[in-house]
Amino acid sequence: MESTQGERKHLGLAGLLWLGLTAVGEWLVFQVDPFPLQASAEGKLIDDAFVFLLQLAIPVMALVVAGMAYAILAFRSDDANQVGPPILTAGTVTWPWLIVTSGLAIFIVINPGLMGIRELSSGEPADLTVVVEAAQWQWTYSYVDYGFTLNDPEALVLPVDQRVRFEIESRDVIHSFWVPAFRMKLDAIPGQINTLYITPTYVGSFEDDFNLRVQCAEMCGTGHARMRTGVEVLAQPDFEAWAASQAGD
Amino acid sequence: MRAVRNGLIGGLAGFALGAGLVAAVRLVLGLSAWEEETSLAVGYLFGLTGWLLGVGVWELWAREWFGLEAGPYQVTGWRRYFHFDTDHKVIGIQYLVMFTGMLLVGGLFAMLIRTELLGPFRFVMDPATYNQVMSLHGMFMIAVAITIIMGPFGNYIMPIMLGADDMAFPRMNALSFWLTPMVPLLLLGSWFFGGWDSGWTGYAPLSITNQSGQLLYNLAFMTLGLSSIVGAVNFLTTVITKRAPGMTWSRLPIFVWSVFATAILSLLATNFIFVALLMATLDRLAGTGFFLPAQGGDPILYQHIFWFYSHPAVYVMAIPGIGVALEVIAHFSRKPLFAYRWAVAGIFGIVILSFTVWAHHMFTTGMPQNRIPFMITTEMISVPTGFVFMSALGTVWEGRLNLKPPMLFALGVIFNFLIGGITGVFLADVPTDYQLQDTFWVVAHFHYTILSAQVFGVLAAIYYWFPKMTGRLIPEWLGRLHFWWIFVSFNATFFPMFWLGLNGMNRRVAQYLPQLTSVNVWVSLSAFLLGASFLFFVFNLAYGWRRGERAGENPWGALTLEWMTASPPPHANFERQPRVVGPPYGYGMPDATHGRLGPPMEASGAEHVA
Repeated sequence: MESTQGERKHLGLAGLLWLGLTAVGEWLVFQVDPFPLQASAEGKLIDDAFVFLLQLAIPVMALVVAGMAYAILAFRSDDANQVGPPILTAGTVTWPWLIVTSGLAIFIVINPGLMGIRELSSGEPADLTVVVEAAQWQWTYSYVDYGFTLNDPEALVLPVDQRVRFEIESRDVIHSFWVPAFRMKLDAIPGQINTLYITPTYVGSFEDDFNLRVQCAEMCGTGHARMRTGVEVLAQPDFEAWAASQAGD
Repeated sequence: MRAVRNGLIGGLAGFALGAGLVAAVRLVLGLSAWEEETSLAVGYLFGLTGWLLGVGVWELWAREWFGLEAGPYQVTGWRRYFHFDTDHKVIGIQYLVMFTGMLLVGGLFAMLIRTELLGPFRFVMDPATYNQVMSLHGMFMIAVAITIIMGPFGNYIMPIMLGADDMAFPRMNALSFWLTPMVPLLLLGSWFFGGWDSGWTGYAPLSITNQSGQLLYNLAFMTLGLSSIVGAVNFLTTVITKRAPGMTWSRLPIFVWSVFATAILSLLATNFIFVALLMATLDRLAGTGFFLPAQGGDPILYQHIFWFYSHPAVYVMAIPGIGVALEVIAHFSRKPLFAYRWAVAGIFGIVILSFTVWAHHMFTTGMPQNRIPFMITTEMISVPTGFVFMSALGTVWEGRLNLKPPMLFALGVIFNFLIGGITGVFLADVPTDYQLQDTFWVVAHFHYTILSAQVFGVLAAIYYWFPKMTGRLIPEWLGRLHFWWIFVSFNATFFPMFWLGLNGMNRRVAQYLPQLTSVNVWVSLSAFLLGASFLFFVFNLAYGWRRGERAGENPWGALTLEWMTASPPPHANFERQPRVVGPPYGYGMPDATHGRLGPPMEASGAEHVA
């Protein structure tokens, strides 16, 4: 079907609207930092993945918004006797749409999907192991390398720049171990041990940033909202001193 | 009201019988006669049967199974709405009133939630109460989301769109409706048994070891499931067998396709929620230990079975609304639905793929191998979903858009669902899901998909088909005001939740940290405005019903068959046999006609194609 002058004008203007919305959106992505404190190496990977997905999402959103908005503005008619051109379909729209949307979906499966999973499952050995036990409604951390346990403490204490393996279990119902500043969460499920690797990258504590906390992230009963401890990340010598003093007690 | 009275008598008698059987067995074993949960469960089983028999199944149906005469049914006027009436138009209204009522009650619970969340610490209720209110809000809205378009409009409008005189199985239709009053009854009744705190998802082992109200939630959801399955059989059979002559599959309105697709999902998937909850109930009552590690069971198994239903279920909660949106967009753009076959293919692509994605709800349960295939299938479901947007865009493009209230709401579906769909990608992607799972990002995502599709969708459906069902129009300016009120307050309420989730606010929490207070206050105030919009909506309905301008047969000038009969339609829907001679959206085509009315029909009813 031949495009008339009018049709091309509409397509051109709508296309400009699309480009404009995309540009504004992408600019906002660069300007605005929506993230909480990023305090782990895994967190960096996840935040980068988030931004990447956002950058891809914006032109897709802008396409639909521009198309709908332009149509509402340009093709409005309050006369119910007017009808539009009887366009049933257009192969120039449908097949490219299928190819582009499938391509996009496959692309994001690969990156950041599969690539991200691969990196997060790198399997490197851990420098420190902490067994995390969740129970209604408190956390218990066992530093098995040092031989001491913290029952329902103020904070989970960790060394910076060390790969920590958390072995997460539950005594009763399903809980979930989550430090928002670290970005990874993993459920604590009775009857199994779930393993999570985190490398903290920021020295600080809950007093510095409220996202340095362990927060239960699976409904576990009355005390669910308050099932949390702080997180304290220390420089390595300070951590070792702290651990030694705990072991000595 | 005789039917409701007899139903209650039957229900109480049945309950007594069931609890009595339990008591007899227990006494013989030397135990106390009443064991709360066992007696309740068995009592309910018999009570539900007694309720159904009493409300009309016995007198008007089951008598035939024993060689007796059924009926006669002689109820007329407004009393029909309280009886086991088999007219699909009556049943459609029954569903509409029942589920709009549940929507308002569920909304009330939401207002309570947002009141509590005005402040970071305990404000108006303690955490235990909050968890129950949160769970009630969730389950009420799930029941509404599943039913509120299929029940009222799948029943009332869809057969008329097909040119049929009723659904294929009118008595089953009434049965599927009369199962539903048990749902709010049980859910609200759970209050007297301590409520339940595990949300609408009811994960084990919490749902095995918590308060007795959990049992009532299990029974309520199982009952809703029964109603869904019975309804699904009816919808499928009706679309297959009761199309008017000439209504080939390629001339089916898109709304009918969406009802058909939804019914397939309901029929195939609903058994699994029944099974999951049955197993959970047995774990509570019978010591089975399916989901309890101490007995060799696995809590994750519950999630697999639950989500195997509940993921397709969310498409049951989206496809009807999308069908309404596309239907309205075509008529109010005065243009054929663009790429009709692709839209249908998209809907069926969603149906098929929806069975392959369930474990994306479980990425954080520690399943190293499963993450990858489920991430792939979940990302791929965005492709058929995209066809819906392609069709909508192509339809409005170069159309003649008439921005009346039904069209505003239909466009609202598309715009809001877009945000819902895109934000789902961040959850589908495993790395980002690690941060976002079980946070307010998820809450925002599912409100942007389900509320957008089903609530904006049902509002579009109501403003569109209200004149057909009542013979009156809701004044346009009321509809416009309603649209802008809900559109703005909806986005103001839920958009900030994406930020909250990303920034550490997890779900189902009665309390949060003070640093998140200001955003939560904004959300709560917006939510109060959103809640108020529903009261305005009820006012619109009442005003339109009482004082709306008379509508006539076809106030919108639309081509589909329901607009070729009186408003409201006569008992057999058409006085003259409709025949379909062209496509449903042939606007702009030479001699654009979808249906023609033939000779007056005989009393025996409509002829139809198989």
